[in-house]
Amino acid sequence: MNQRIAFKLNGQSVVYEGSAADRLLDVLRQTYRLTGVKCGCNEGECGACSVLIDGHLANSCMVAMGRVANCEVTTIEGFSQTKRFEVLERAYAAVSAVQCGYCIPGMILASECVLARHPHPTETEIRSGLSGNLCRCTGYNAIVQAIQIAAREGEGLW
Amino acid sequence: MVNGFSPATLKEALEIRARQQVIPYAGGTDLMLNPNPDAVYLFVNQIAEMKRIVQKDELLHLGAACTYTQLLEHPLTPAILKEAIALIAAPAIRNEGTIGGNIANGSAKADSVLIFFVADASIRLSSLSGERVIPIKAFYQDRKRLDLHDDELITEIILPTQWLEHYYYKKVGARKALAISRVDFAGLMTVKDGRIKHCATAFGAISGVILRRPDLDELLIGQTLAEASRLKAAYLASYAEVIAPIKGRVSAEYRKEVCLNLLEDFLNSNGIR
Amino acid sequence: MKPISQSVIKKDHLAKASGSAIYVADYDPGQMLQGLILRSPHAHARILSIEYPELPKGYFAVDYRDVPGINEVHIVKDDTPVYANTTVEYIGDPVMMLVGPDERELKRLLPQVKVEYEVLPPVIDVRDGDTVFFDYHFGKGDMDAALAQADQIFEETFETGYQEQAYLEPQGLIADFNQGKITVRGSMQCPYYVHGALAKAMGLPPDKVRVIQDVTGGGFGGKEDYPSILACQVAVAAYKAQGKPVRVIFGRREDMEFTSKRHPSLCTYKAAVKNGRVTALDAKVIFNAGAYTTLSAVVLQRGIIAASGVYDIPALKVHGQAVKTNTVPNGAYRGFGAPQTFFAIEMLMEHIAKASGEEPLAFKLRHLVRQGDETSTGGRYHFPVPLPAMVEEVRQMSDFDQKRRLYAQPQSGTTRRGIGISLWFHGAGFTGSGERDIIKAVCRLHKFPDGRVEILASQSDIGQGIKTTLCKIVANELNLLLDQVSYDNPDTDRVPDSGPTVASRSLMTVGELLRRAAIRLRSQWQEGKDQTVEEHFKEPDFVIPFYIDKFQGDAYPTYAWGVCAVEVQVDTLTGFNEILSTWASFDVGTPIDLNIVTGQMEGGLLQGLGYASMEQMAADSKGRIRNNSFSDYIIPTSMDVPLMKVKLHVEPYPDGPYGAKGAGELPLVGAAPAYMSALEQALSGPIYHIPFSAEDALKLIKQSRRAEA
Repeated sequence: MNQRIAFKLNGQSVVYEGSAADRLLDVLRQTYRLTGVKCGCNEGECGACSVLIDGHLANSCMVAMGRVANCEVTTIEGFSQTKRFEVLERAYAAVSAVQCGYCIPGMILASECVLARHPHPTETEIRSGLSGNLCRCTGYNAIVQAIQIAAREGEGLW
Repeated sequence: MVNGFSPATLKEALEIRARQQVIPYAGGTDLMLNPNPDAVYLFVNQIAEMKRIVQKDELLHLGAACTYTQLLEHPLTPAILKEAIALIAAPAIRNEGTIGGNIANGSAKADSVLIFFVADASIRLSSLSGERVIPIKAFYQDRKRLDLHDDELITEIILPTQWLEHYYYKKVGARKALAISRVDFAGLMTVKDGRIKHCATAFGAISGVILRRPDLDELLIGQTLAEASRLKAAYLASYAEVIAPIKGRVSAEYRKEVCLNLLEDFLNSNGIR
Repeated sequence: MKPISQSVIKKDHLAKASGSAIYVADYDPGQMLQGLILRSPHAHARILSIEYPELPKGYFAVDYRDVPGINEVHIVKDDTPVYANTTVEYIGDPVMMLVGPDERELKRLLPQVKVEYEVLPPVIDVRDGDTVFFDYHFGKGDMDAALAQADQIFEETFETGYQEQAYLEPQGLIADFNQGKITVRGSMQCPYYVHGALAKAMGLPPDKVRVIQDVTGGGFGGKEDYPSILACQVAVAAYKAQGKPVRVIFGRREDMEFTSKRHPSLCTYKAAVKNGRVTALDAKVIFNAGAYTTLSAVVLQRGIIAASGVYDIPALKVHGQAVKTNTVPNGAYRGFGAPQTFFAIEMLMEHIAKASGEEPLAFKLRHLVRQGDETSTGGRYHFPVPLPAMVEEVRQMSDFDQKRRLYAQPQSGTTRRGIGISLWFHGAGFTGSGERDIIKAVCRLHKFPDGRVEILASQSDIGQGIKTTLCKIVANELNLLLDQVSYDNPDTDRVPDSGPTVASRSLMTVGELLRRAAIRLRSQWQEGKDQTVEEHFKEPDFVIPFYIDKFQGDAYPTYAWGVCAVEVQVDTLTGFNEILSTWASFDVGTPIDLNIVTGQMEGGLLQGLGYASMEQMAADSKGRIRNNSFSDYIIPTSMDVPLMKVKLHVEPYPDGPYGAKGAGELPLVGAAPAYMSALEQALSGPIYHIPFSAEDALKLIKQSRRAEA
C-alpha cells in the first residue's frame, strides 16, 4: 500500500514512497539512513528520537509518515549544519555535557527549541523544555549549563 | 488503495469518513503507541476548521485538532486548562497531541478531559449527515467506549467559561514531568454575596470514566459558607461512598484517600472548614 | 587544582553531538540477518519438546543443539546456559532464536514455534528460597561479650528493591562467523569477558575469537555480564548463518524485563549499644540472585564487606547469602551490592541515634573510622579518611544545622519538610585479590614513527570519558598534545587484556599502568621510530593480601568517600515528595578532568536518588517483571532534582595516576539513606525500605498522626 508523501527533509525536497502509517523514526533511520535519530523506547517516553517538524520538537517514534506530508523535518544531521548547532555544540563541549551520547542528538534539538522560544531562558524554562528528553548519565546539570552558555554566546542567533 | 488521507477541509474529511473505514489521526501520540502498519489513517491535523479557538459569549469553542502547545500559548485558554495541559507529558508530546485525541482515546487519565468534565463541556460531533452536540459526560459511556458513530468526527469542544475563574487543580503523578496521572482532581467554586453560586468537581484516573457527580455537588450550591461548613461532613461522606477506585500501580485505598484529601482541601481552600 | 584536572573537549564529543557516532543499531542492515529470541513464559518448567513451523527460505531456528562448544556462558560460575536445554528457570529464559532477514516476518513466525513445557513449582519470593548460591561468613571481635554487656540491643530489617540501569541505548550485538573465526561487536563494557565466554561456547581457541566494542550508550553495570550471554546466543546464530552476520537489538521492553538489575535485598541488622556507642553489629544480608549465579558472588562480596559502613564497630559478625529465585538473574549495577548495605547501616545508625535522643549526624561522627583503623575484613584504612572535613563542607553548603533544627519544629499547612545526611565509601577497584590473581591487567603504548601515540587497552568508553582521561594521562607524561594521543574502541585482535570496565577501576588501575608505560616510553623515546612499550599490573606494596575464603586482608587498596545532604518536601494530601535541593561532597582523589568527574558525580547522585524513591520495579506473583517501559519504570527527568550541588574534596591516592582513585560508582552508593533520613524528619516516622513511594509516605503520615493523637 504505497503512496507518495512529499516533504522537506533537512532542507531538501523528498518524496517517500511507502505507507502513510509507517513510523517517521523507522523511515528516517532505514530509508534515509539518518541514524543520528536514536531509538530509545519507541513509545514517546525518552526523547532520543526527537526531530523538528516545522521547527517544533516531536518524538519521531510517535509520528506517522502521513502527518509530515508537506512539512519540514529536521534531524540532527540537518541541524548540525547550522550556526545555531555550532554554538550549542561548543557550549555542550565547554561543560562536557556529552557522556554516552545516546540522548544527545535529541537533547540538542530540544535545546534548540528552548532557545527558539526563550532566547534568554530561565533555568526553569530550560528544565521544562528538556523534560521529555531522558538522560541517564549527566544528572542534567551540565546540559542546563550548556544551554545557558549557548544563550550567552549565541546572542542574536535566537 | 492508500493508507493515509490528508484532507484540507472538514467537508473532505467527512466525505472520506463516510465512505470508508479510517482511523482519525490528530496528534498520533496515542495511536502510535500500538502502530498498525495496515491502518488507514485520516489525518485531520491540517484541517483549519478543526484548529480554531473562538469565544462566543460565555462559550469557548476549541477545535478538536488544537494541540496542547497551541492552547498553552493562546490568550483565550482558561487558566485551569493551561495548568492541566502544562503538566501533560513533555513539550514534544504537547506539540503533537491534541485535545480531540485526548478525548477520543477514551481514558479516564486524560488530563485535559478532566477539565472538560468539571466545566460540563459539550462535544460537537460532525458527519456528512449533520451534527450532534452532546455533553461530555454522555459521550463517555464507559472505559474506551464513546458515543461516536463510524461516520463522525469529533470536531469541537464547547467549553462554558462562566465558572472557570475560581478553580482548584491537582495532578498526582510519579514524578514532576512526563508522568501519567495516578489521581487527577479539579474543583470549581464560585462564591458571590456570601453564597455558593457554583460548585463542581471531577476526579480522573481512578475509574473507567472520569467521575463527575453534579447531583452530589448540588448539596452545597446556594448555601452560605457557614451552612456549607455544617454540610461538609455529609458532602465528603457522599463522595466517599461513590469513589471506588481501581487498583493499578498504586492501591485503590491510596487513590481513594488522596481523592478525599484533595476534595477536603478544595473545600478548605474555599473557606469551608 | 592540578593542571591535569583542567577540563578538555572530550575525544568523542563532536561525533556524538552531531549524531555521526555509530552505535550498533546504526550499521546498515544490508545483508545482515536479524534475530528474535523466544523466551520462557514460565518461571520454572521442564522443556519437553520444541517444534518448529515450516520456515520460509532464508529463515532458520537456533537452539541449544546448535551450540558448537559448551552450552554454558562463562561468567563466574558457568551455570547460565546459552540456550535453555532441560529446564527454564525464569520468565524470559531464552529458549531459542529465530533468525531471518525481515523483522516483521520474524515477529509473525515466532509465536508459531511450539514449546511443550511441564510446569514446575517456582520460587518467587526470596524468603521462600531454599537454594543458596553463595554463603559467606566473616567477623571480628567478641560478639557474644558485646551482646551480653550491652545497655541496649537494636534489631531491624531493611529491604531494598530492584533497580534497572536504564541506559538509554538498549543492548545490542552483531556476530559474524567467517573462515573459522567468530567476530562479535556492539554495546558492551568488557570485551574480554565476552571473548572468554565466546571461546567456551563456540569451542574455539582464543585467536579464533574477536570482540570489538562499538560506541556504547551507557552501561552502569548493565553491560558488564549481560553482553557475554547475548554474544554467545548471537554467535551461535551466526555460526549457523553461514557467513551472514546476525544482529540482535533489544527493544526497551525486552531490555527492561529480561536483562540484569540491581539485587533486591533483605538485611537484618542487630546492634549492641554500650554507653552511647555501638559496640557490636551482627548483620545478615540476603540478596535475591535470580535464576542463575551470573555475578551474584562478587556483588554479594562487595555488599557484605561494606556491612558496617564508615563506622568503627569493634565486634562484627557478617553473614551474606545470595539466594536463588525463579526470576530474572540480577547482576552488576553501579555500586555493586554496596547501596543495599549502606542503606541498612545508615538507617540503623539514624534509628539508634534517635532512640537515644542524639542528632544522627553527631552520633555518626562519633563512630567514624579513621586512618590506620581496621576495616571490616581486618585490612587497614591506609590513607586519611576525609569524612569530617567533607561533612563540614556539606553542612556549610546546605545550611544543614539550621534547617535540621527548623524542620524539627511542628510544621503546619499541607506540606512537611525535612533534611537528612548520609556518609559512605566506595572501595576503589576490584574486591580482594581479583586484580592481582584474576585480571592481571596488561596495556601497551604504540608510538608511530611520526610521534603520534596510540593507547592499546581494553577499557570501554561507556560515557564516563575514559577515552579522554586515559589520553590526557599519556599526553601529559609524554608532553604531547592531546590530539597526538589516540584511543580507539577496543578490538581484542589489537589490544591486550587490561581488564574489564567495572568496579571504578579503569582510571585508577589502568590509568596508572598507562602513566607508567608513558614514563617508560619517554625514557626510551627514539625520534622517527616505531616503538611499543608494555606494562603489567603489580599490586602496591602496602596492600595486606586478601584471602576471599576468610574475608581477611585489604579488600580494597583505598577508598573513595561520599557525603550527601537532601532536603525534601512532602505533600501531606498526596504523599508526593519532592527533592528541593541536594548537596554532596565527593572524594575520588585527584580529578583527571574536572568536568568529567563532576558529570560522573552528578549523574550517579541522581541515579541514587531515583533508587530511593521513584524507581519502582517489582516482579508479580508469577515472577514476571511488571515495570518494563519508561512509562512504568520512572527515572528522574530534568525537572525532578532542580538543585544539585556537588563539591569535590581531594585526598590524593599515591598509587593512582596523579592521585586519582575510583570514581564512577561512588556517588550512587549512599544517596538513598540521605533522602530517607530527610523523609524521616518530614514524616516523623521510621523508614525501613526503599524505594519509598508516595503511598508509603501517606501511610507514615497517618501513622504518626495516630501516634500523636
